[in-house]
Amino acid sequence: MIGNRRFLAAVAAVALSLSVAACGGDDESGDGGKSLTMWTFKRTHVEALQQAAAAFKTKSGIDVKIEAFTPDDVFTAKIQSAAQTKDLPDVLELHSGGEDLRVGGGGLLADLKGDFDGKLDRFLAPTRESGRVTQQRKDSVEELSGATVGSLYSVPFTAGTFGIVYANKEKLAKAGLDPAKPPATWEEFLSALKATTTADKEQGGLSLGLKVTQTGFNWVYEQLAFAYLGQQKFEALFGKGTTAGFGSPDGLKTLDLYAQLKPYWIPGVSALGIDEADIAFAQGKSAFNVGGTFTLAFLAQNGMKPENVLAFPIPPATGGAVSDLRLAPLALTGLSVTSTSGNAAAASQWVDFLTSPEGAGIFAKGSLDLPATDLGTQAETLIGPELAALQQFFTGPADSTYDAGNRGFRPPDYDEVEMGNPLLKLAPLGEADAATTGRTLDTVIKAMWDAK
Amino acid sequence: MAVTTDSSVAARLVREPRRTTRSRQRGRRALVGYAFIAPAVVLFLVMGLYTLVYSFGLSFAKWNGFSPSWDWVGLDNYRDLLYADPRLAPEIRGAALNTGIAMVAVSFGTVLIALPLATLLNSITRLRGTLRSIFFLPYVTAGIAVYYAWRYVLEPDGAVNLALRAVGLGSLARPQGFLADPDTALATLIVIMIWGSVPVAMLLYLAGLQAIDPAVIEAAALDGAGAVRRLRHITWPLLVPITVAIVLLGLRDTMQGFQIFLIMTNGGPAGHTDVLGLKAYQQAFFQSLSPTLGVASALGWLIFLAALLLAVVNARLLRGQR
Repeated sequence: MIGNRRFLAAVAAVALSLSVAACGGDDESGDGGKSLTMWTFKRTHVEALQQAAAAFKTKSGIDVKIEAFTPDDVFTAKIQSAAQTKDLPDVLELHSGGEDLRVGGGGLLADLKGDFDGKLDRFLAPTRESGRVTQQRKDSVEELSGATVGSLYSVPFTAGTFGIVYANKEKLAKAGLDPAKPPATWEEFLSALKATTTADKEQGGLSLGLKVTQTGFNWVYEQLAFAYLGQQKFEALFGKGTTAGFGSPDGLKTLDLYAQLKPYWIPGVSALGIDEADIAFAQGKSAFNVGGTFTLAFLAQNGMKPENVLAFPIPPATGGAVSDLRLAPLALTGLSVTSTSGNAAAASQWVDFLTSPEGAGIFAKGSLDLPATDLGTQAETLIGPELAALQQFFTGPADSTYDAGNRGFRPPDYDEVEMGNPLLKLAPLGEADAATTGRTLDTVIKAMWDAK
Repeated sequence: MAVTTDSSVAARLVREPRRTTRSRQRGRRALVGYAFIAPAVVLFLVMGLYTLVYSFGLSFAKWNGFSPSWDWVGLDNYRDLLYADPRLAPEIRGAALNTGIAMVAVSFGTVLIALPLATLLNSITRLRGTLRSIFFLPYVTAGIAVYYAWRYVLEPDGAVNLALRAVGLGSLARPQGFLADPDTALATLIVIMIWGSVPVAMLLYLAGLQAIDPAVIEAAALDGAGAVRRLRHITWPLLVPITVAIVLLGLRDTMQGFQIFLIMTNGGPAGHTDVLGLKAYQQAFFQSLSPTLGVASALGWLIFLAALLLAVVNARLLRGQR
């Protein structure tokens, strides 16, 4: 009897192990196009997407479940594992201009060309082709080697740019500054920082998520260098075998300008992540904060009233090539339909709705983020006067416009992360001077060119 | 003879069914045994062996985790990590140096604190259990939540700076906080790792101390040996095997673990707290879905080789103590 029980227990153990192993199977399948799943890496988008999904369900009867996976490494791992187990959702929100192309080139995304080529004029002009496979992209992105030129792996969803400075109006007023007047030049910006840090040494400085080291390079230095040098000399900094690189007199001048920020960073800034820096600003621990157009939504969600914020682009230095810097919007995130979706038609319908003026309007109002869809005259009503005001910096003469989406002059294997650490050592850490930093950056750029 | 044969046949005929029953029972017992170990074997084959073979193969390829095929590159990933890639190799060397510093400092720091603590604890009888529980708290609480708590404590306006200023040691306070300052970031993480590893080491030492025959200590005391001499010449030699185990466990844990570095500094500021485990993780999951899983895997195998080397040293040292 005991033997039988033992035998039964063993059989149960084997059955249990087999059933556990069997748990990894497909869990959901299409149900006639009535239910979709969408993944995003932005938690700030979830509520607004759910509002848009509710409106979409009323119109189409299709239910959309929104799921967020953060931070970025978790989202990456989620996509990688889901791709292996064929458990990808129907729709993905991905970083534009890189991540979407890699995932698409890997065969995970459907070509949206047929569904959206005729609808791209609904988007802001600079963002329209962000998800398109071009010959240049095919040559530089390994995963696209087997892709067809002209394929569209994503349509733009959110747009904006980096290099937007947010100032706390109350702190400006306390420091004796005009809270309605943004600094017009780099020098005025430094003076304003001096005034606010004098008024409040601990909480009057500048915050930025320098733990993600490339933010200093991408969100402050590039705009500053572009405005000082002009487009041609700025692009030469990154040139192949250039003699006009970061260690050249022009390059050193731009690094010196950046280093002038050193006394004004808030204490401990190099240990702050992007969100932490924004939260520090929202909590009044800094007078200025650098981010992108997307930052305002996060600040608002963390209790900062948009009307208490003065926003302006990184001001150009006096004597530089550009005196009125403009910032071209670029697609920040895009929407993609997965190639494994059992509901491809419904998924495409959802993406269509979400990027239509109606869907984008609901999203913009709910998230305070700037959609890539041109909202036209209703922009201010939907996204508020503060964010709508930022759009004025989007248009201007081409030679005065810094375009973060223009990657053609950089090495094919360009990795912005590697530009961040040398600049961090220059400021705020002060471990290297401009000359050393310039030499290091030139070495990094050369290695990137040599990598291909 | 024939009778004998007949009787043996008869005996066999009697015994045979018993033997068949016994062998059937033995077979059944073996089957039960195999069935019980089957889940563990299946788990090892799927989660262990398969993963090992998979990652070893991946270390010779470029892959992003989702493309249909791997791009075989031979030994390039290893070459890039060790010397060939002018961007990656210096970073890996810097991370290896930081890893080495942390390994040595954590292991020896743990011994330096745990041994006196265990000796003191062994010398008292009242409150020993309570104090042992208190000293063990860091071990049971150490984890992600505690690392976040440490971050707040170490901020520019955190408790450590406030306490230093309050007791007149403001010159030791770090205006940038302890984690944002390149001079203190790595040392601070080492201190926290020591804080987390002392409890187990202390318990091991305590067990070792309680296993020492009190008569030996008493005899030494009667011969005039003071507390320090007793510790140095009697207790310490008897505790060397435990010390070797603690040091080698500390070396291995610090070499392979990277959670604290990921959560508290992510390698910053400017790479001052980069370690090998963290670099492998960053190569795998922080490259915007670039095909860097192979490099991450190769780095994992290099770390494994170093761990294997440590294990060999460990075995030799322990054998030498016998």
